[in-house]
Amino acid sequence: MKAWLNFSPSIVSKTVISDLIKNFDVTFNILRADITPKGGKMLIEISGSEAEKGIKYMEKEGIQLNPIKKVVKKDEEKCMDCGECISLCPVKAIKMEEDWSVELDNQKCIGCGFCTTSCPTKAIKIAD
Amino acid sequence: MKTIEEINQKIKDGNAVVVTAREMTRIVQENGAGKAAEEVDVVTTGTFGAMCSSGAFFNFGHSDPPIKMSRTYINGVEAYSGLAAVDAYLGATQPHRNPDIGLDYGGAHLLEDLIRGKEVELVAEAYGTDCYPRTDVHTFLSLENLNQATMINPRNCYQNYAAATNSTEETIYTYMGTLLPQMGNVSYSSAGELSPLLNDPYFQTIGLGTRIFLCGSQGYIIGEGTQHATEGERRNGVPVGSAGTLMLKGDMKKMDADYIRGATMPKYGPTLYVGAGIPIPVLNEEIARRTGVSDADIACKIYDYGTPRRDRPAVMETNYEELRTGKIEINGNEVQTSPLSSFKKALEIAEELKKWMDNGEFFLTSPVENLPSSGFTVQPLEIKRPSIMVRDLKSKTAITARAEEAISEVARKMVDNNINHLPVVDHAGRLMGIVTSWDIAQAVAKDSQKLTEIMTKKVIVAMEDEPVEVIARRIDKHEISGVPIVDRNNLVKGMITAEDISRLICSQNNEEGD
Repeated sequence: MKAWLNFSPSIVSKTVISDLIKNFDVTFNILRADITPKGGKMLIEISGSEAEKGIKYMEKEGIQLNPIKKVVKKDEEKCMDCGECISLCPVKAIKMEEDWSVELDNQKCIGCGFCTTSCPTKAIKIAD
Repeated sequence: MKTIEEINQKIKDGNAVVVTAREMTRIVQENGAGKAAEEVDVVTTGTFGAMCSSGAFFNFGHSDPPIKMSRTYINGVEAYSGLAAVDAYLGATQPHRNPDIGLDYGGAHLLEDLIRGKEVELVAEAYGTDCYPRTDVHTFLSLENLNQATMINPRNCYQNYAAATNSTEETIYTYMGTLLPQMGNVSYSSAGELSPLLNDPYFQTIGLGTRIFLCGSQGYIIGEGTQHATEGERRNGVPVGSAGTLMLKGDMKKMDADYIRGATMPKYGPTLYVGAGIPIPVLNEEIARRTGVSDADIACKIYDYGTPRRDRPAVMETNYEELRTGKIEINGNEVQTSPLSSFKKALEIAEELKKWMDNGEFFLTSPVENLPSSGFTVQPLEIKRPSIMVRDLKSKTAITARAEEAISEVARKMVDNNINHLPVVDHAGRLMGIVTSWDIAQAVAKDSQKLTEIMTKKVIVAMEDEPVEVIARRIDKHEISGVPIVDRNNLVKGMITAEDISRLICSQNNEEGD
């Protein structure tokens, strides 16, 4: 599952993530992170048998968790299926389908935003 | 042997056999060119790519009192109005006059907006004459209010093109899109086997007056495009690099916004995606064979766009079948490839043109004159005063520091020599890093002791055989004040600073004043 974690300033100094990994059988991948003394947010991918328990633990510790289905959004009107974004994706989350349309794979996407800045028609947006 | 008249009669009767260039490739592969020539009447091609050299002529009509426009802006994009009183030409790559909008909305976006039927703002200035007394205009209009909105694209549908990569250590932004460092990706532009001029590589059927599909309307080829070239290297009869080009004309009022798109190449500028499709009448077996060309038959070279020079080094040769797989091997590494043009749209265009003929709505024309297929080369622009190369610049002899030197020693060297930059070298004189007087000041403030702690290790450098203009841009881009000059072996040869460059410009300006 992918989710945005929102940290309040009061818990920035707590070692929540390492406690989470230590105490629960979860696999945890940080895709994006922006932590400042004033709080922060982190895009994570979490899986494992105790993922649900782990999530409850994080919520108890004061981390707000917003599960997401989409990391990137493609504006079908603006996209002309040129494919300029494909070779820029570091995790091969963008591919050309058999009918030559461009498809984004939200499972693979890590939200780096490289495709959004390089799109000639600004057709790709990172979902909030 | 068939004639265009015979094919047009078949189109009229509803029994012409029209296939797309992609279908024709399979037909020729399966049945041979002879049989394909008997069976097929017309092959439709298509392309939908970034074609910078595009634009349109507008006639605004006369105001009362009338004005002779001399500076004209439509939605903030300047159109050239050094023509008659109320005519202007708008180029697709013209950026917005407001630098904050700049590249995000240019001529290309305006052309798309007009075709979408949007209202646009017209602002014009004039000096005023007895017959045209008005000196300014500010109004709103849309495509239907214009007397003419004639798209005239000086260079479209390039016959093949280069693919691009970047060998430098930094991301670069080009008209071929974003290119990652260390040959991290490859971009290519042509529609390959579907592309118009690759299906008729000797222009046997294409010329002045050829009726075509242009942005959803019926347009025309009005001659060879600018930079048309015929003498380049060919493989299977098809040019390996950029060769022939087309000048196209169409009526914007009849165009469909599905087949045109204003776009911006990041940090490069606006460009227009133009949808063009050209019918190729299959008059004989040779034309059938040529339209049977496949992506594998069309070679193209990958050039290193990291070299900002006219002649870029070729990295390797490939073909469109390989490029279209999405990856390619360069020096043993797998590199992802990206098309810049939309193959999906190109296919739609070829299909649409085919549909027009199947419905008896589109008829072929015989060109008044074929495009020139020989004797055209592209001349470079020779600059009378050639670029000054780094090696020609009177740079000071390299004063360098060794990594083990004490900070105070390095500071003394800077003061004694009256310099602000000091390249740090190893025992052989190879560049390891650079320190500036600011770094020394910081070292003193923070009480750092080691030169290796304070030096910048990732150094921006200049090569001796680079033009000074390239270095000036590099210094500006990285917001630094100087770069060490190194040779191919990374040995420090000197130092070039922003001051050296401004002094050079001043001395050149003084010479011109003499």
